[in-house]
Amino acid sequence: MTLTRRDRVVLFAPLAILLTGWLLLPALLGFIATFSTYSPFSTTVKFAGLANYANVVGDPQFAAAARNTAIFTGVAVPLELVVGFAVAYVLRLPMRGRALWRILLLVPWLVSPIASGVMWHFLLGGATGILNFALGWLGRPEVPSPLGDPRFALSTAIAVEVWRVSPFVTFLLLPGLASIPRERWEEATLSGATWFGRLMNVAIPSVRPLLLTVTMLLVGLAFGTFDSVLILTGGGPGTATLTPALYSYSRAFATNDWPAGATAGWLIAAGVLAAGVVYLMLARQRATE
Amino acid sequence: MRAQRGGAPRNILLAAALVAFLTPLAWTALASLGLQPDSTTHPPSWTGPLTLEHFLEIGVAEPTFMQELITSSLSAASAAVLAVAAAYLAAYGLARSASGAGRAVAQGFLVLASLPVMAYVIPLSDLMRRAHLLDSFAGVVLSEAAVTAPLAVFVLHGTIAQLPTEWEEAAVLDGAGMLAILGRVVLPLVAPSVAATAIVLFVIDWNMLLVPLVLTSGDIKTIPVAMSDFFTFERELEWPTAAAALVVSLAPVAVLVSLFHGVLDRFSLDLATAA
Repeated sequence: MTLTRRDRVVLFAPLAILLTGWLLLPALLGFIATFSTYSPFSTTVKFAGLANYANVVGDPQFAAAARNTAIFTGVAVPLELVVGFAVAYVLRLPMRGRALWRILLLVPWLVSPIASGVMWHFLLGGATGILNFALGWLGRPEVPSPLGDPRFALSTAIAVEVWRVSPFVTFLLLPGLASIPRERWEEATLSGATWFGRLMNVAIPSVRPLLLTVTMLLVGLAFGTFDSVLILTGGGPGTATLTPALYSYSRAFATNDWPAGATAGWLIAAGVLAAGVVYLMLARQRATE
Repeated sequence: MRAQRGGAPRNILLAAALVAFLTPLAWTALASLGLQPDSTTHPPSWTGPLTLEHFLEIGVAEPTFMQELITSSLSAASAAVLAVAAAYLAAYGLARSASGAGRAVAQGFLVLASLPVMAYVIPLSDLMRRAHLLDSFAGVVLSEAAVTAPLAVFVLHGTIAQLPTEWEEAAVLDGAGMLAILGRVVLPLVAPSVAATAIVLFVIDWNMLLVPLVLTSGDIKTIPVAMSDFFTFERELEWPTAAAALVVSLAPVAVLVSLFHGVLDRFSLDLATAA
């Protein structure tokens, strides 16, 4: 049907009001504020140029946070994709009890990042945790939690995030993999393709746009990592697991440096928007191929 | 059906995934029931007895826990319904726009869906304070709806764009208006996708920390905020009590997902290829 002007207003107004009022306007006003000395309780506001950005970017804490996020994103996102894809690939064909498998293998994603942090805090430390139980079986002495060790804290936080997010990746990829017609697998098998050949020539090309979309969501999630580490490590020890989001939050609300917090928030946005431009370019390429 | 080749590797991978993903949760569930390992003995042993008292201890440690459960349920449900309703209308508008730009716009919404809340939550809290929506149920619900609506637009646009338009055209010939078509023709066809989207959004809202954390100062407390407060301020909490709280916070979404598992595979991020 052809939509009239009035139809369009009815269709788009609710979303436009919601997104403008509660997302775009705050984001934009926040962006403008980062070039000033504005804070909610300041009486005078002066133009500050790039001083807030210089302040944040020059802060060794922020540099550590940016480095951690680069590692976090570079390691966690590929792992989440590989693990999530592998499980979805196994579940793609009809089999007995598939519905139950699908629900069971989604459960870690249903755990909130905060609850996951609480849980792993206890599981990785103390006498009642998984780690020391397993070591006890092997006849090894108890070890302190790897979350408290600067050498292992970041990789442990990444492992916990992979545990929580991979099931969501499986959930998102499964409909795409399951909808590949059965004949395409059989053709590939008949023409002598190995499982690796079927993976590269049938599975991945069929879900490539879907993989691209899921990757975009995972990158955004990784850039904004906050509640996943808040309870798990709180950013420590030292700055070992500090993220830009934790930095932004603590600058704004703990040290009351509102402009620095808002500026760090905008640097996260800039990172995600840059990734978004790459996503849109790749998605367009795929569409015209 | 012929047995699939490679059945054994498949079962091994599934079993490994099940162990890796569910052991931590089983450990937690056992601890909440009072069953804990004792790694000081050789070999490690399990100690009991089986009890439900740790669930009662939640109420002692956090007297407002029931209130927080209700707040979490109501705010997540309201935000999910609001976001899906607004997204459904807009997704239909995009899918049926004459310009053919719907697909590109939907991809723009995906980028917006990837934007972390931390990127704008600090100025959002300032704006909510000026609008007197700080510490209000409405402020939390509207903000959570805005966080999740872009993802819903992307999913529902993909679903609606794949629908054939014949039914809508027939309804137009019968003299139906746009809202009647949206409610009585299109909605029944895409109801499973709409339901699946609402469930996924409910889970995201249920687990969301930053929005209720920054926009409230304790009056409207959700479960993740209560948990994070508890551990941030380093109050002592025994592991079995924490485990019981984890089980209680997970149970509602686990039940919801189990009940609606039949429609959940309709939460598809596949963009319509042929529109």
